[in-house]
Amino acid sequence: MTPNATESKWSLRLPADCSIAAIRNVYDLIREAFNRQDPLEIDCSNVAKADVTSIQLLLSTTKTGQAQGRPVVLTSFSQNFRNTLRRAGFSSEAIANHPFNEKKDGV
Amino acid sequence: MSALDPTEVFRQEASELFETLEGALLDLCQRPDDRELVDSAFRALHTIKGSGAMFGFDKVAAFTHEFETAFELVRKGEIKPTQELIAVALAAKDYIRALIEAPETTDAIIGEAILDDLKQLVAPTAPRSEVATPATAEVAAAGEKRSAGWRLHLEFDSHILCNGSNPLDLLEDLCKLGPCFVVPVTDDVPLLDELEPEYCYLKWDVTLHADCEKSAIDDVFMFVADEMKLTLTPLTQAELPAQQPAPEPVPQTAMQPASADATPAPTVAEPMPEAEPTVEPAAVPKAEPVAKEAAPQPAARAETRRDEVKRSEERGIATVRVQAERLDELMDRVGELVIAQARLSQLAAAGSDLSIKMIAEEIERLAASLRDTTMGARMVPIGSLFGRFRRLVHDLSRDLKKPVEFVTSGEDTELDKTMIECLADPLVHLIRNAIDHGIEDTAARAVAGKTEQGRIELHAVHSGAQVLVTVRDNGGGLNTARIRAKAEEQGLIAPGAALSDHEIHQFLFHPGFSTAQTVSALSGRGVGMDVVKRTIENMRGSIDLSTKPGQGTSVTLRLPLTLAIIEGLLIRVGEGRYIIPLSAVEECVELMAEDQRSRGRNFLNVRGNLVPFLRLREILPAEGEPELHQKTIIISTGETRVGLVADQIIGNHQTVIKSLSKLHSDVTIFSGATILGDGTAALILDVAQLVSLAQAQSEKQQMNEAA
Repeated sequence: MTPNATESKWSLRLPADCSIAAIRNVYDLIREAFNRQDPLEIDCSNVAKADVTSIQLLLSTTKTGQAQGRPVVLTSFSQNFRNTLRRAGFSSEAIANHPFNEKKDGV
Repeated sequence: MSALDPTEVFRQEASELFETLEGALLDLCQRPDDRELVDSAFRALHTIKGSGAMFGFDKVAAFTHEFETAFELVRKGEIKPTQELIAVALAAKDYIRALIEAPETTDAIIGEAILDDLKQLVAPTAPRSEVATPATAEVAAAGEKRSAGWRLHLEFDSHILCNGSNPLDLLEDLCKLGPCFVVPVTDDVPLLDELEPEYCYLKWDVTLHADCEKSAIDDVFMFVADEMKLTLTPLTQAELPAQQPAPEPVPQTAMQPASADATPAPTVAEPMPEAEPTVEPAAVPKAEPVAKEAAPQPAARAETRRDEVKRSEERGIATVRVQAERLDELMDRVGELVIAQARLSQLAAAGSDLSIKMIAEEIERLAASLRDTTMGARMVPIGSLFGRFRRLVHDLSRDLKKPVEFVTSGEDTELDKTMIECLADPLVHLIRNAIDHGIEDTAARAVAGKTEQGRIELHAVHSGAQVLVTVRDNGGGLNTARIRAKAEEQGLIAPGAALSDHEIHQFLFHPGFSTAQTVSALSGRGVGMDVVKRTIENMRGSIDLSTKPGQGTSVTLRLPLTLAIIEGLLIRVGEGRYIIPLSAVEECVELMAEDQRSRGRNFLNVRGNLVPFLRLREILPAEGEPELHQKTIIISTGETRVGLVADQIIGNHQTVIKSLSKLHSDVTIFSGATILGDGTAALILDVAQLVSLAQAQSEKQQMNEAA
């Protein structure tokens, strides 16, 4: 994961392994990034392994962002992550076109 | 103690699962129609797959998944598990084990070969059931009456992901049954602060447009049935979409991915591209609505939930996994406590302070119960060991082309875990010998009028403070003449020496002794039985061998329950004090004057039975005159009873066994030593040795008298 402080926005690139085996580390890093006051952008381009836990973590992150009035933007879903989202019943088109935070009521 | 390495925990768990899997597969050889065995094997496989993926054993997960898929027809009962299929399944199990234990050195080509074999075995019969299925489905679809499908609500236990299950795999399996709408329900996903990242918060509403039976859906979730709540409601015809199924109305929240857009598409309307629908669902024209599953009442739902919570709590406290080293450490500490307590008791007995005496007695009681509890915690059912031999017998039987039925009994018999570990090697040798030498080949059995299939029994039973483990075969029995000839050839006995059959059979335990004509990979070097004897004697056990020509051989291992602490009888001979294991003691009698007088004839008349006795003063160093009223302790091993004459019986004593040093390895009459309350050492007498010494002595006397 590479946190890049660019302008006023924090970009967080998720690591390749976002499966349950590594999700605790990803959780800690997201929380750490969340503690900063800047808008948070999460780059999902590098994700090779994802499962229910990674989906839930991102849902929770956007939910928390909405609750706190902090914009969270999810960008560049990798193909593997897209597949996982699709398997869980999330529409891939919706994911591609609308990052989690840009829709008020869905993905 | 440092935190447990999760990979190591997985390896341990996997090792237990492999035992279950192997056991189920071997049972399937006998009972190919038992669906429960197939399910049990699949459960084990599934857990290995799930846990493997969780702990980063991706190759294991991938191979197991492929294997499960190929084996699917067996699970559905469409193909019977034949011997060939089971052999491939066992090979697959070995391969998965290798992937876990030595992933670097395990070649993927082996796995591919196994899968190819499996597919070949499964393929010829597959089309028979498969081809008809889609066609039938089409026909059924054309008919006016068919079940519309099912509406499912899936709620998983929060820990399900930690247990290695993956709801996404289950959803994918569900999609194989027919077109599915999968709508994730995200209401329960908490804010970051409350999120436990490994828990499962997502739920799913699924609309399945397939006229499958409820059991087909239950099959998908069979491995996680205890860890989830599945609500099934049959769809009515009216709910069927005209052309394209519409998403189900689901309560929405702000974070709900089931979008409120005009074109909502939270759909997985067809099987996933990566999913290989190797097996089509069995089409059943009419799916019967299951009323009791439909729309459960909220109260009933809450009740079920409570039951589930209670069940999982009960599971949680049922067992605790403890490292074996900790138990060893605990046992050592208890041993030291027992010694310290003996010292306290001795001090208290010497003084006159009543309150100290009471405390000493109390501590003695507590130490004894602590000892029993600790030893109880170390007890392991011997069945865990027996399971390993089933594969051995299966493989040997195949390699030697001798059909063998392997029967075990007394699996619940408990033995100290150290003993169980030590017992594995001797039993391997005994079973190999039984199959290789004991059981005759098919032709010889037919000539002898026996069944084609040989039989090997492995039996364990408690007998007093001992455990008897017997390996019995119904083969040809020992060839006493051949053993004798070999012993003479090797110069172990003089030609023509008078020896009983029992004595001749003992040569089998002699190092390097073998009657086998050729040395094979299995046996013939004369090492096995020597190993058996040494190991069993190191465990303070003994071996009984009995054989009937033409009917078979039976080897019984007599083992003490524990190697750590025993109840002993403390005796005095001269100035020395010795311990006799209490488990071997039958009774104590006074040596009567007439027994004393019968010089040269060391036999005791115990209620009409003549029992040979040994004067311990003659064996052990003892100064001074013997006591006027000497005591005889009658000990026994199996059928044989022997009296031991001592000066005094001091009383029972909790004996913490300390093994003798290597310098004393040639001392056979003692099996160990212990520390007494006053800090001095007492030697523990080896009962088996004393019995054979007394037997030899009495036989010598009888022969002298006869001469």
